[in-house]
Amino acid sequence: MIVNFWGHEFKVNIVLGCIGGFLIAIVSSMFGFGGGPFMTPLLAVGLGLPMYVVVGSSLLAIFFNTVMGTMRHYQFGNFDLTFFLIMFIPAILAGFVAPQIAKRISPLWVKRVAVVGLLILAFQLLGLI
Amino acid sequence: MKRWLSVAVALAAAAFMLWQDGAFAAKPEAPAPAKAETKGDAKPEQKPAENSSGVTMQIDKTTIDNGGTITVTGTAPAGKPVFIEIYASEKVRASRFDADPDPKTGQRPYILYMTEEMPAYYKVIVPKDKKDVFEATKKEGRAWSVSKVLKETGADAVYSAPAKIKIDRYQATLMGSIIGSRGDLLAPMDDKENARRSMQLLKARFRSVGNIMSPDVEVNPDGSFKAVVKVREGLAPGKYTVVAAVDKGTKSAPATFENKIAFPNMYLSNAGTSLNVFWPALLAFAVTTFGVLMGAGGGFILNPLLVSIWPLPHTVVAGTVMPTVLFSQGSGIYNYSKIKFINWKLGITIGCAMLAGGFIGPKLTEMVTLDQYKFVFGWILIVLALLMAWQTTPGYLAKNKKEQAILKEFQKRAKEAAEAKKA
Repeated sequence: MIVNFWGHEFKVNIVLGCIGGFLIAIVSSMFGFGGGPFMTPLLAVGLGLPMYVVVGSSLLAIFFNTVMGTMRHYQFGNFDLTFFLIMFIPAILAGFVAPQIAKRISPLWVKRVAVVGLLILAFQLLGLI
Repeated sequence: MKRWLSVAVALAAAAFMLWQDGAFAAKPEAPAPAKAETKGDAKPEQKPAENSSGVTMQIDKTTIDNGGTITVTGTAPAGKPVFIEIYASEKVRASRFDADPDPKTGQRPYILYMTEEMPAYYKVIVPKDKKDVFEATKKEGRAWSVSKVLKETGADAVYSAPAKIKIDRYQATLMGSIIGSRGDLLAPMDDKENARRSMQLLKARFRSVGNIMSPDVEVNPDGSFKAVVKVREGLAPGKYTVVAAVDKGTKSAPATFENKIAFPNMYLSNAGTSLNVFWPALLAFAVTTFGVLMGAGGGFILNPLLVSIWPLPHTVVAGTVMPTVLFSQGSGIYNYSKIKFINWKLGITIGCAMLAGGFIGPKLTEMVTLDQYKFVFGWILIVLALLMAWQTTPGYLAKNKKEQAILKEFQKRAKEAAEAKKA
């Protein structure tokens, strides 16, 4: 498939993109997270697209998954309204606060902290710590 | 035009869901009140009630405030063990996917057991002399079995409140999983099988033996008994029923007490747990803030923390955290589309593949146990950590810097184009 972005044309392997997207969607909707950090590398590395093409389009693709996953979870009775509101209001607030903090700290260090944090959490879940 | 497209997609998906809902997702019907419960409601007597069985029982309180201690006293025929069952009238859902090989044939049944009528709290208090059995079961860790511990303590003879809950069985098939249905609804089980399966669901819901049993009944040689029962925090509000029994037919009249839950504690009816809403809200705020900073949604960190800290079912956590990002994603798409930063062809094509994946995933959530959920999540986080680490390598940064510069250039051009349009 040819992807046209602001006059630049990119040839992408759409089959790989769809299979990858399908698998990421299964896992992310099963475990209840967005899936963005997996979609971005898929499109950037797997399909060889530059980052500026990836950011918007991957968000659009993930949105499909989130909408469908939400409806299915709701249908299976996994949605709790009180709990949703407890999570949703702080999440909206975070959307306003985070960009203010982002201006002051280096994204590189955030990622380094995230790597350590994610590994600690992962080992805890696997029962290694 | 693009906005209309997304509306059309949403409508089509909603229509599909409704159709699908009626067509194959045999939803369990609203729970009918269990027998034991109506009996308990009818006679909420707090005074010692004489009963033909010769077992009398009374409790010292009628209300507790988010957990507390209840002292149960009474008399039973001398020389017999006394068991006390306590259960909430509030119901929750419990499910278990049976994929363990049959010990005789070695075949895996792949049957999903599901109930909407599990009491939100169930505990059987066994005589103090059964403490060794209780402690031994505790040491078995995750491999413990409800039916075994009930049998060894003798409590299986009096096990009654969850035994008669309505349990639906679904035969899962590969095809069923692909089209996202729970499978074919099987015929109801007989009483004995129902009781046996309810014990497995009890474990699936309450996880540890300490949550459903405690060896606290002090039985004296003359038949009088006393038990100090600690009702833990974070349970369902409402009426709790207490019954003392020595065997199947010989039990006392039920007594009831009420558990009060007041703000900031709130009861999450679908999760069957009360919690102080302040803490999960704070956690969600901290995690999502960090999530935005690192460029990943908060769900990765939030979900495993939620299931680790509170006794929340992983199905409810997954199903409730997912929608919280809908709005931020929606506004992100809107902002990108304003500056023409979305390739609709690419996004929608992969989006359709993701639509199919998102249809299947949520059904798989209820097929895994909490331990499996945590285990797989652990590996997902390791992969994510590796991806993050890769994004801090010099090669990636150099490439990113170049692309960021192009991105800024495009954004500038988009802005100029928008302003030119205005003028």
